[in-house]
Amino acid sequence: MRTISLYVEKESFIHGLDPVTKLWLTASLLIIPFIVGNIESTLVCLGINLALLSVARVIRRIFSILAMSLVLIITLFIIQGMFYGGNRTEAFALGSLVFYREGLRYATLLTLRFFNIISASMVLILTTRPSDLIESLVRRGLSPRIGYVLASVLQIIPMMISNTSTIMDAQRSRGMETEGRLVTRMKAYLPLMAPLVMSSLVATQERAMALEVRAFGARNPKTFLHEEIISRHALPIRVLTSLGLVAAVIWRVIL
Amino acid sequence: MSAKPKTTPAFTLSTMSLVLIPVVVGINYIGKLFAQTLKLPLWLDSIGTILAAFLNGPIVGAIAGLINNLIYGLTVDTMSFVYAITSVAIGLVSGVVGINYIGRGVLPMLGIGLLVGIAAALVSTPLNVIFWGGQTGNVWGDALFAALRKGGFPLWGASFLDEFVVDIPDKVATVIVAWLIFKGLPKRLTRLFRRGASA
Repeated sequence: MRTISLYVEKESFIHGLDPVTKLWLTASLLIIPFIVGNIESTLVCLGINLALLSVARVIRRIFSILAMSLVLIITLFIIQGMFYGGNRTEAFALGSLVFYREGLRYATLLTLRFFNIISASMVLILTTRPSDLIESLVRRGLSPRIGYVLASVLQIIPMMISNTSTIMDAQRSRGMETEGRLVTRMKAYLPLMAPLVMSSLVATQERAMALEVRAFGARNPKTFLHEEIISRHALPIRVLTSLGLVAAVIWRVIL
Repeated sequence: MSAKPKTTPAFTLSTMSLVLIPVVVGINYIGKLFAQTLKLPLWLDSIGTILAAFLNGPIVGAIAGLINNLIYGLTVDTMSFVYAITSVAIGLVSGVVGINYIGRGVLPMLGIGLLVGIAAALVSTPLNVIFWGGQTGNVWGDALFAALRKGGFPLWGASFLDEFVVDIPDKVATVIVAWLIFKGLPKRLTRLFRRGASA
């Protein structure tokens, strides 16, 4: 079965941190460049993120993710290079197409920010099992009911995906065409969606009853199956990231 | 939150709503998957969110939209964290308008599709400006954006239209599909959710 988690199981310093500390790390490295607002701070945060990803030995994953957005980044440079509002100084011209310094610089900033957002969140996502993250959040006050919803999304999606190929084959064997002209392909959409959607919606009633029978709605405090292990590096990291955020705000206010 | 006091007094999520949300997030995911498999020129990735709003009201729709993008952000595409607010808007708008027009044929649905598209474009535009300098990443929309900017059109207007031309056909189609599915559901089930929304 295909799984939808990007988690990579490895042993590393980053993997050993608790999810909430990693959430701190990711959030602050992601926000700092926006607070400071220049290319240099974005480069610094991006560098830290890439270093963290190599410590976690998952850095190779990030390149395929970044490669997927190559087209978007190329159009970013083309459009901003030619039409950015602050364009003044000409950088170069290809025939009648003129590219400007300011626009290219702005496109560079946006691209670096985008790389930084991706790499910062990958520090969390590639090294944390989604269910561990949800459990950590429930420990810190997220409603267990919402925790259940999040966890069951992660289970339902692979289940539904594995049903899709069955439905595709069943409808094809009844003569439905899934290739050809646009109208043909549009007509195929509903017969594919409907069986899957209907059956999974009808099953909700059963699931709700199964949960209620097991006292899902009970109001007493919930307990956890596993003990939470907090690494001794967690506190210094949280202090450092908070200091970094404060420094960024001070920089922004003073300069 | 008090736009529809009739359907949402002192709101607590019923167990039915809680089991509905994961299913509609799955529907969003599968809707997009089938659209890609059939190479349709639309995303169709919010059918579930709108269906949740039709079945269970704007608040469940909004929560479904939020959770959808959180899970997407965690598992597929990080940038969808940022666009969570767009999904929330889609759930809210389709719930507030949809709940009163769901039984009245296809024409009101076109109107709802239009409204949802406008809301989605309005909410997405500031995000597109902040993160992409106004672009959307869609070839047709961005071509329009480039043409408008070349003609001296203001950034925000051009960015809104860039998102708008892409969003309108997609959201109208999405609302229609959600409505067709809603109509096909057994009454026994839809009533159960309605009661959940007002309990």
